[in-house]
Amino acid sequence: MYLYIEGGDLIQDERTDEEQYELFMERINNGEKIEPNDWMPDDYRNALIRLISMHGMSEIMGALPEKEWTPKAPSLKRKLAIMAKVQDEMGHGQLLLRVAEDLQKPNGISRKEMMEGLLDGKIKFHNVFHMKTKSWADAAIIAWLVDGAAIITQTNMLNASYGPYQRALQRICAEEVFHAQHGEALVMALANGTKEQRDMLQEALSRWWESLVMFFGPPTPKVTGSSRQDIMIKYKIRVNNNEELRQAFFDKYIPRIKALGLELPDKTIAFNEETNEWTYEQPDWEQFKQTINNNGPRSKARLKLRQIAYDNGSWVRRALAHQPEAVV
Amino acid sequence: MSNEIIKTAEEARQNPAYKAALVELLYQFADDDLIISFRGSEWLGLAPHIEEDVAFSSITQNTMGHATMFFGLLEELGEGDSDTLAHERTAGARRSSTYLEKVNGPGSYIGEPDYDWALAVVRNFLYESLKRIKLEAATNSSYEPLRQIARKALLEQTYHLAHWRLWIEQLQDSTIEAKGKIRMRLEEASREFGDALSLGSKAEEIHRFNLLIDEETLKNRWLEKVNGVLKEKFDSIPKMVLGDGRRGEYNEDLEQAIGIFTEVYMSDTEAVW
Amino acid sequence: MAQEERNFYREYEVFSRKSNKLPLQHQFSLLAPNKDMAMMMAQENFMRREDAIDIWVVERDDIRAMTSEEKQQLTKRLDNKDYRNTKGYGYLRKLWREKEEKMGMLDEKEIFSWSKGRKS
Repeated sequence: MYLYIEGGDLIQDERTDEEQYELFMERINNGEKIEPNDWMPDDYRNALIRLISMHGMSEIMGALPEKEWTPKAPSLKRKLAIMAKVQDEMGHGQLLLRVAEDLQKPNGISRKEMMEGLLDGKIKFHNVFHMKTKSWADAAIIAWLVDGAAIITQTNMLNASYGPYQRALQRICAEEVFHAQHGEALVMALANGTKEQRDMLQEALSRWWESLVMFFGPPTPKVTGSSRQDIMIKYKIRVNNNEELRQAFFDKYIPRIKALGLELPDKTIAFNEETNEWTYEQPDWEQFKQTINNNGPRSKARLKLRQIAYDNGSWVRRALAHQPEAVV
Repeated sequence: MSNEIIKTAEEARQNPAYKAALVELLYQFADDDLIISFRGSEWLGLAPHIEEDVAFSSITQNTMGHATMFFGLLEELGEGDSDTLAHERTAGARRSSTYLEKVNGPGSYIGEPDYDWALAVVRNFLYESLKRIKLEAATNSSYEPLRQIARKALLEQTYHLAHWRLWIEQLQDSTIEAKGKIRMRLEEASREFGDALSLGSKAEEIHRFNLLIDEETLKNRWLEKVNGVLKEKFDSIPKMVLGDGRRGEYNEDLEQAIGIFTEVYMSDTEAVW
Repeated sequence: MAQEERNFYREYEVFSRKSNKLPLQHQFSLLAPNKDMAMMMAQENFMRREDAIDIWVVERDDIRAMTSEEKQQLTKRLDNKDYRNTKGYGYLRKLWREKEEKMGMLDEKEIFSWSKGRKS
């Protein structure tokens, strides 16, 4: 169990911060898991709060573009599969927000402030979920490649040093397997379909490619002005840096994309046998920065949707907050 | 005929009158679940809190699964492919209740949806109460395949009813504001829910062939069931001012819904998706 | 108004039992305004994902968990309790062998096999 107890950490502890830190690093390097009321350096706590809040909110905001296509899914079977997928995503968001909320407790922050943080831009969400969706092929590309990119970053953290996050990721990754297969199924049907379907798929891929490349974040902090990659690797929250993850994505997905007869809009992309790396055209990182600061094509509209719903739900929360015990 | 069990679609097809009544009933089941699930899917991400979003979307998914099972029965009876039935029938051919077809509120689910949780709670509670009664009755249907599907659906539906029942119990006993909103939606339902309780033009045959219980019994059971939970009770069977969906009547709300959920399918009905 | 809404979000811990032979296990936490809502929300997360034959929800405030200090102390018991585990009794095996070939010491395997009952 991992509950925060008020004042629990104030029990007489004669260790200095330095000694605590050494002990902490020893635990991390031994592969031990840190729990919510364990001592942790501020930069560790803050890095986790930022990472996990963003991860949680991305799952929740990510349900919105998918939702645009859920009712439109062109068969009963596909409707069911997408409904299952978005429901999973809301579930993942819930698990992750709980982890972030527990970390934020000492700061007096709860779900209410988290939701407000999303709506006023303090808590960010992944660039891909700020993008427009145009056709059914977008639903297919999102399910296959956006989820694919997410699986790569998530599996990279399956041994994260922070216990609650690591356990949440175990659950999440187990469910991602069917998402990956669902994505493949949608794409395969289009790739093997009519000319219109194939063209629709190619068009969607060409439109989404740059966002997918940028999903992993800039290779260096210079671009967006900050990066916590190094801290997270030092603290064993993740194994690889942004560029390594992007390369892993290319490794796994470029061959598959080509196998389906699709073309990448980046004509320069090529695998260099000597360096064992893909070389590719750098995407527009300035645009990336704009996007995650809620200036993307659909950022404001989607946040507005959430804001309206949040406000509309106010009377419900007020109503039930009056009853500590249910009257049944 | 009334105590006979019809075991297969083959057998059912041998009696045209039986088959016609059965098919009519199955369309009602399938179309109700399809449309309420569609309206539920528009709520994703907009519920009063995230945990409720997870629960509600799960119910929505289950319900689409039930619709799929009913369409499967219709397919076996020779009505056509499930996807064709779900997507290609016109608004007038649908047999869902006009109350269940109502929009969740002004605004599109992609644009600026202005949905009312009180409507969601009242509509779903009244519907799941009805569905429970219909499914239980269906477990005694003369049509064996329907008995089996009903039994399966009941396993999940128990949770659905419990979920919405809890919401209405808690809201109706909370703030004045909440009571007011629930009351408003219940009053609205007393004018509009009526066609859900109807078994349509073949109600007499449905009862005679023992496919389900008769309409009177259905209505009374439903009234008793919901009034057992509600503090502000219905004093009579609801009316159907929006029209009788069981007889193919419909409004633009249904057309809006069909337009959305068939958009991709209709772009190429021959394609494999 | 803000304070009232805040009271809507109470923390509940969710436990479930997978099968009759397994103990109740902690799963995760959720926010709900009261116990009944918490139970309703908890069910949905399990019915979808895993088998559960029982579910408990407990309000976090009702739980007394360990502080970080207490957890560290937990691992520091003395390793002088051979009398509490089977390795402290290994010597019996040899003694029984000296007494009677066919008798064996009562070890875990033997004792658990008694659950099958007596065959008449």
